[in-house]
Amino acid sequence: MARDPRHDILFEPVPIGPKTLRNRFYQSPHCTSFGAELPGAQAHIRAMKAEGGWAAVNTEFCSVHPSSDSRPLVSARLWDDDDARNLARMAELAHEHGALAGVELWHGGCVAGNLESRMPARSVSQLTDDGLYATSCYELDKAGIREIQGYYVAAARRARDVGFDMINIEGAECGALPQHFLMSKFNHRTDEYGGSVENRARFWLETVEQVREAVGDDCAVTIRLCVDTLNDDPRGIRAAEEAYRFIELGDHLVDFWDLQGGGWAAAEWAGDDAVASRFAGEFSHRPYIEAVRPATKKPIATVGRFTNPDTMAAAVSSGLIDIVAAARPSIADPFLPRKIEQGRYEEIRECIGCNICASRFGLGAPIVCTQNATLGEEFRRGWHPERFTVASNHDKSVLVVGAGPAGMECAMVLGKRSMSAVHLVDEQDALGGCMRSISAYPHLGEWGRVTTYRQVQLGKLASVEVILGTRLDAEAVLSYGAEIVVIATGARWRADGMNGPTQLPIPGAQLDFVHTPEQVSAVKGAIDGEHVLVYDTDGYFTGVGMAEMLLAAGKRVSVVTPSPNLAPFMFYTGEAFRVNRELRAQGVEIVTSHVLGEITPDGLHGQNVWAPDPVHWEADAVVLVTQRQPCDELYHELRADPDRLAREGIDSVYRIGDCLAPRTIAENVFDGHRLAREIDTADPATPLPYIRELPDVNRQPAAVPGAG
Amino acid sequence: MKILVPVKQVASIDGDFTLDGAGELDPRALHWQANEWDAFSLEAALQLAESSSAGEGFEVVVVTVADEHGEEGLRACLAMGADRALRVWDPALAGVDDPLAIAAVLAAVARREDPGLILCGVQSSDSANAATGVALAGLLELPRVAVVTAIEQDGGGLTVQRELDGGAVEVLRLSLPALLTIQTGINEPRRANLRAIKLARSKPSATLALSDLDLDVSDVREVAGARTVRLLERGRGEGASMIEGPAEAIAGRIVELVTRELRA
Ligand SMILES: Cc1cc2nc3c(=O)[nH]c(=O)nc-3n(C[C@H](O)[C@H](O)[C@H](O)COP(=O)(O)O)c2cc1C
Ligand code: SF4
Repeated sequence: MARDPRHDILFEPVPIGPKTLRNRFYQSPHCTSFGAELPGAQAHIRAMKAEGGWAAVNTEFCSVHPSSDSRPLVSARLWDDDDARNLARMAELAHEHGALAGVELWHGGCVAGNLESRMPARSVSQLTDDGLYATSCYELDKAGIREIQGYYVAAARRARDVGFDMINIEGAECGALPQHFLMSKFNHRTDEYGGSVENRARFWLETVEQVREAVGDDCAVTIRLCVDTLNDDPRGIRAAEEAYRFIELGDHLVDFWDLQGGGWAAAEWAGDDAVASRFAGEFSHRPYIEAVRPATKKPIATVGRFTNPDTMAAAVSSGLIDIVAAARPSIADPFLPRKIEQGRYEEIRECIGCNICASRFGLGAPIVCTQNATLGEEFRRGWHPERFTVASNHDKSVLVVGAGPAGMECAMVLGKRSMSAVHLVDEQDALGGCMRSISAYPHLGEWGRVTTYRQVQLGKLASVEVILGTRLDAEAVLSYGAEIVVIATGARWRADGMNGPTQLPIPGAQLDFVHTPEQVSAVKGAIDGEHVLVYDTDGYFTGVGMAEMLLAAGKRVSVVTPSPNLAPFMFYTGEAFRVNRELRAQGVEIVTSHVLGEITPDGLHGQNVWAPDPVHWEADAVVLVTQRQPCDELYHELRADPDRLAREGIDSVYRIGDCLAPRTIAENVFDGHRLAREIDTADPATPLPYIRELPDVNRQPAAVPGAG
Repeated sequence: MKILVPVKQVASIDGDFTLDGAGELDPRALHWQANEWDAFSLEAALQLAESSSAGEGFEVVVVTVADEHGEEGLRACLAMGADRALRVWDPALAGVDDPLAIAAVLAAVARREDPGLILCGVQSSDSANAATGVALAGLLELPRVAVVTAIEQDGGGLTVQRELDGGAVEVLRLSLPALLTIQTGINEPRRANLRAIKLARSKPSATLALSDLDLDVSDVREVAGARTVRLLERGRGEGASMIEGPAEAIAGRIVELVTRELRA
């Protein structure tokens, strides 16, 4: 299929000052937790995007000085020449693939906890960050301001010297000093750096001016600006007011604008920038970009979880934006631009908006992606999202039982590795396994892309056959004729209330008004009873999904959880604030810090986590969202008789995904992918070691400058 | 008894195919797959073979008239359970898709194989003539029943059913040898498991040229009643209009149209 001519506009080059973007695709700065400490991983994750057609790739936020140290969260760093040397590899590889490399310079002011450097934080005013405890900062005087501006200049020079093409002075997501100067919420100064918008913009614009001066025509310069803090607080940034004026003031200083809306760091704005699909679809910040467009003649780059080339092309054609920026779409599919360029639309692996990628940043762990199992594995495991080697045992035939996320991914990768015959068999009459019910939860429709992407891929692989509506018992598997058997039969929710907080079942869980999430899903929430109590110790989307499904079915809903908030894992995915707020607003009673001890016909008996006094609740029905257990009976039955396996010509039986250990969808997809990538190793059940990039202790470490 | 099952790989066309100036299809837009009807006729043959008293010696032979594209389909039939496969091909057959011409080739195969029963699909999904089976019966002067929806063995013959308009069912008896064309839905075609796929690799399969069947190119070309001259794109109907815009607007418009049609 040829490219739709309407999309040609996306492949026009865009001049940005001294540099030129080869097309309009720009990878928005995003964290990886690789920083400058894992230079191979950092270089190769960006290089993959460059190879996939992005015109520009960027680092994550990159600290300019030890006075802004984000530990335990991992930023890139340009504190010294060693950092620069480590990041240089990224620029080098980006260039090899014809892309520009950018660095996003960051000083966090009061949001930097400085747990590693132990330097006191300093900021625009004497502030306390709402995400840190028992710590505060001191207010910068004018000499201090000059000093910080000097850090930016030094970092920009280092970036330039090792080959970076673009310098971004960021003040996005409410987590950086320049933006704190601009926002009266943080800026309480009365000198020429406080008060009017012009005064509040001064620090930022002076900094950009000094950086420009220092890098000259070697680099394009941009500002990442939050154009709207997306609430009505007049101390924030409003597109038509502060942002508009700021853009007018700074327009002569930048080669293009990198604009976003909302924030991540400060509680009120959390999750509004990388907004999850449960809240918004593509380009949800469009009105804010429209509001500032007239303020500038320079090209505008902006984000909007763009995966549909029609939306991108329409936004560009209308003159609203010039550069299509993307973080998550580039994570889910590093080859998005190439696929559009070549008209291979059905190959696009669309982001589902789950924000598992972002959760890894908050957890201080390496980035992963639900849709793209190869993400973050480019260097340490050498995985390429679009290239697969022919398996050395490709003459073998493989039976994969269970077409959920793990089974689908495994069968797909086995097919791409040219296994001679792969049968993917499932008892349900459609692909997807657990995704079928999960994507039917309220607001999670986009998660169905986990299935649709793989369905299209499987359909194209001649050696893979999908067989639905067929339940295989052990006997049927044994006589199926496969040499390799992969069991991916998923997991089920525990019906006995077994749970993490007590490591015990809940007495009374067998009563007939107590349900599992599967039972609730099967009737779309329409279980018997008017008032339903959901007990959630799982902490992620299932408890929320149950509450929303029951609400939609007209139930009165209470949720009891041992955590201090509903769905604590959603703090990492940026969904928690809105979910807690919106469920409360819809009348859901949320009882936090309580455990459920026993269910009896006349009520539920629990206890506050902190107090021994018994608590009593009444409800017509109960839903237990405690933990899942593997559906591994088939696996164990097969493994029980090695002689029979040998007689039937079955070399090996593996289990993957939830069937091995119930985990997130991302880990299940990874599991299926990993087994297929390593199906021809000596011991495919055990992952091959990966490269760990440990520093060499024999190398003389450099002292960190300016840490005094 | 021997049952002969003629099968065909059909071409399905991508949604957005293009035709060149001569009305030829870009072959990259074509995907080859088994004709939907054939799985049912093969399944019917296998069921007859299986239900017959043991030792009676049934053989199910599949045959196709095709270039190498036909191989994959034959392999799938062998995996499903056919005993033997034949492929007839001759470069002179390139471009010949007239039902009479194909039937002439199949008739030569049938004369050579001398089956007690021939089971064809009602039609092929790509050219949709529904004529090859009945033409073959005509050439072989066999009793035939078209669009069969049930088969039962009945002594030395068969009792078969066909569905008529308005819900009536016609029950017919016929003696063998005979030819039936089989309707979809008559049974549930089986899926080959990996063992069957592997076993199929060692089942006998032969390729025949026209000369092996004592046929001449002219025997085939002369009976061809018609020849495809060119393909055209179907013009968009007057009533068709494209709905454009954001997903919600499209959905809203569809709801509006459907509601209007339902009321009308
Ligand atoms: C995993 C992850 C890490 C991010 N890290 C940064 C960052 O370091 N600096 C930054 O300015 N924005 C960061 N962002 C925000 C993105 O640049 C972008 O504004 C946001 O994700 C919306 O774009 P998208 O819809 O294309 O994902 C991050 C987003 C994600 C998903
Ligand atoms: S983890 Fe989820 S949100 Fe992040 S890029 Fe992948 S699919 Fe999108």
